[in-house]
Amino acid sequence: MSETAQRAALAPEVSPPQKKDRGFLGRAGVVGGVLVVAIVVALLQSGSGLVVWQSVVTGLLTGGLYGLIAMGLTLIFGVLDIVNFAHGALLAVAMFISFGMVQATGMHPYLTLVIAIPALFLIGAAVHRGLLSGTGGSSLENQLLITLGLSLLLENGLLMFFGAEPKTIALPGDFQFPLLGAVVAGSRLYAFLGAILLGALLYWLLRRTRLGTAIRAVAAHGPGAELVGINVRRIHTLTFAIGTACAGAAAALAGPLVTVTPTLGEQFNITAFVVVVLGGMGNVVGALVGGLLIGLVEQLTTIYLGGQSSLLGVFVVFILVLFLRPQGLFGRKAA
Amino acid sequence: MSARKLIAALGACALLATGCGGSAPMGAAGAAAGRDEGPVKIGALHPVSGSNAVDGQQMRRGAQMAVDAINAAGGIKSLGGRKVELVTGDTQGKADIGQSEAQRLISAGAVGLVGTYQSAVSTNVAVVAERNRVPFVADVTASDAIYAHGYKYVFRVQPGSKVIATAAAHYLQQVSQQAGKPVKKVAFLHEQSDFGSGAAEAFTQAARQLGIEVGPNISYDAASVSDLTAQVTQVKASGADVLAVAGYYRDSLLAAKAIASVKPDLNAVWGVSNGAFDQPKFVTDAGDLGALYFSTNYHYDATNPQTAALREQYQRTYGDPMRTGAVLSYDAVQVIAQAVEKAASTDPKLVRDAIAAAQVAPLTVGAGPIQFAPNGDNRNAMAVLMQIQDGQVKQVYPPEKAESRPEYQVTWRP
Repeated sequence: MSETAQRAALAPEVSPPQKKDRGFLGRAGVVGGVLVVAIVVALLQSGSGLVVWQSVVTGLLTGGLYGLIAMGLTLIFGVLDIVNFAHGALLAVAMFISFGMVQATGMHPYLTLVIAIPALFLIGAAVHRGLLSGTGGSSLENQLLITLGLSLLLENGLLMFFGAEPKTIALPGDFQFPLLGAVVAGSRLYAFLGAILLGALLYWLLRRTRLGTAIRAVAAHGPGAELVGINVRRIHTLTFAIGTACAGAAAALAGPLVTVTPTLGEQFNITAFVVVVLGGMGNVVGALVGGLLIGLVEQLTTIYLGGQSSLLGVFVVFILVLFLRPQGLFGRKAA
Repeated sequence: MSARKLIAALGACALLATGCGGSAPMGAAGAAAGRDEGPVKIGALHPVSGSNAVDGQQMRRGAQMAVDAINAAGGIKSLGGRKVELVTGDTQGKADIGQSEAQRLISAGAVGLVGTYQSAVSTNVAVVAERNRVPFVADVTASDAIYAHGYKYVFRVQPGSKVIATAAAHYLQQVSQQAGKPVKKVAFLHEQSDFGSGAAEAFTQAARQLGIEVGPNISYDAASVSDLTAQVTQVKASGADVLAVAGYYRDSLLAAKAIASVKPDLNAVWGVSNGAFDQPKFVTDAGDLGALYFSTNYHYDATNPQTAALREQYQRTYGDPMRTGAVLSYDAVQVIAQAVEKAASTDPKLVRDAIAAAQVAPLTVGAGPIQFAPNGDNRNAMAVLMQIQDGQVKQVYPPEKAESRPEYQVTWRP
C-alpha cells in the first residue's frame, strides 16, 4: 500500500495528467475560500487592516522559505521513501557554513549560496552513501533512528564547535520598503524570490532534464527503472544530495533573517513536515504552495490567538488535512 | 503505510521535544559524612552543557572565583582556616537532572548550594534543599513562585520578577517625566511562558497604579517564532508611545529587527527583565537597530570598583567579558561562605540560620547589603535601568547607580 500511495502522490510529476483534474480546481477553490474567510475573520478580530495585511505579507514571504526547505524533504520522501529527520540539522549545518564564510572572509551572505549548495550536496551524498543506502529494504524504524541519530549528532557537533551563543549574519545594505502600508524587509523579499527561483529550477530539473526523468522513473517504479538501465542506487544518492542541497540553499537565503543557533533546525523541521503532508508527499510544487499556506496560517494564528503558539494553527491544519485529505492538497487519491 | 510512517515520525518528534525524562533517584541520605574534615564544600549547579551552556559556564567560573578569593584570604578563619572547595554539578538546563545533581552534591557533603539559572530547575533544587535541610542560595532565578512556598532553606540574591517589573514601571514614569514626555500608553510584547507573561502582568499592575495605560498585550512563542513584524505592526497600529519587551535573547533580537523595519511611533523601547537588551553581545548583533534601547534588569554594579576589578580579572583569565549571572554566582558563594564563617560550623542547619541573618556586601546592584526577608528573598535586591549608548550598555537610572544620563527618545524619530 505504501508504494502505491506514494506512487500516486508522485503521479502528477511522473506523467502529466491526461485529462483535466476538475477536483483540483475545486480543491483550490475551497482552499482559496477558506483563506478569504480566515482573512476576513482576522480583520474583524484585530480591527486593523494594516495588521492583517502585514501578517499576510510576512506570512507569504516566510512561507516561500518554508516551501524551499520542504521541497528538499518532499523530494527525498517521494523518491527514497525516507522521512529525513536530519533535514533541519543539515539546514543548521549549512547556516553555520554560511556564517563561517561571512565571518572569515567578509563575503556577502548571498554569495555563500555558491558554497552552501555544493557543500550540502556533497554532505547529502555522503550521508546517503555512508548511512542510508544500506538500509534500502529495511524497516522504516531503522531509517528513522538513523536520521534522528544523525540530527542529534550534527546538532551537538555544532554545539561543540561553535558554542550555544546565538549568532547573526548581517546583510550589508539591508533595506525596508513599504508595500501598500505593510513593511517588507529587503532580506525577506530576497529570500522569498530566491526560494521561488530555486523552486522553479528544481521543477525544471525534474521535468525537463534526463536526470529529472530518471529520478521520476525511479520514484514511479524502481525495478522498472533498473530494467531500462537506470542506476537506481546512483539516482537515490543524487536525489538525497539534491534534497539536502535545497536545505543548503534555504539556509544561505534565510541566514540574515534568523538568529543562528545549533538547534535552529528543530524550529523548521516540524513546519517542514506539515508542509510536506499538506502539499502532497513527494510533490515538489505542492511543497512550495504548501509552504506559502503554512506561512499564512502561522501569521493568522497569531492574530486569532493573541500570539499564542503559532504552531497551534499549523497543527490544526495538519490534522484537518490528515483527516480530510491524507494524500495532501496536490496528491491524487490512491486508487 | 505513508501515514503510519508520518505518525512514527511525529512521535519521534515529540520524543525529541520532551527529551528523555525519568525521575531522579531519590531517598539518598540527607546528612552526609565528611563535612567535618577536609575542605568546606559548596555546591554549584549550573547548565554547563546544553543551549545555555555559555551562561552556565560563566556562572560556574564566577562561583569558582569567589571560592579562590576566599581561599587566598586564608579560608574559613573560624574553622581554623579550612579551605573552601567548589563541588560542581551540570544541570544541562533540565529540571530532573538538576534535582538529581542537587541530591548528589548534598550527599557529597555540600554545606550549601548555589544555582541554577533556570527557574524550572531551581524549583526542583529548592525542593531537594528543603527536604535535606541544606541551604540553597539562588543566584539567577527569576520566578517568584518558589518564594511563596514558605521554604526555610531557600534564598535568592537576584531581584525577583515582580521587583524588576515594578521597578521598570516606576523608572519609566520618572524618566519619561524628566524628559518632558510623560508616558501615556505602553504596549507590551512578551514571550508566552511564565517568565514573559509574569513580567507583563506585574508591570501592568504597577503601571496602572501609576496611571499609565497598558495595552495591547502581545505574546509569542519564543521557541518557534521566526518573525515579529506583524506583532510590531500591531503595536504601531495601537498608538502606544512606549513598547515594553520581555523576551529571551533570540526573540528579542527578532523584535529589534522588526522594530527597525516597522518603525512604530515610539518614544522608547523598554526591556523588562529582557534577556538581550543589556547584553554586550546584543550591541554588536543588533548594531544600529538596538541603539538607545532601555533595559530594566539585575546587573553587576558598574559603579562599584570591586566589581570592576573582578570583571577585569575574569576577562584576563577567560578572555571573555564577565556577565551579570557570573557576578551573581560570586555573590551567592560569598553569602554561604560568610555564613559558614559566622556559624563557625559546617552544620547546614546552623549555616542556614547564619544566612538568614546575613549582611553581605554585593558586587551586583543592590540598595544595600544582601539581607534576606523571611520568604528568602533578598530585601535589598534592586533592578537598575540600563541603556545602550554609543555602542555600550550603560547604567542610567536611578541616579545613585548611574554611569550616564538616560536619553529618552528613539533614534529613528525626527
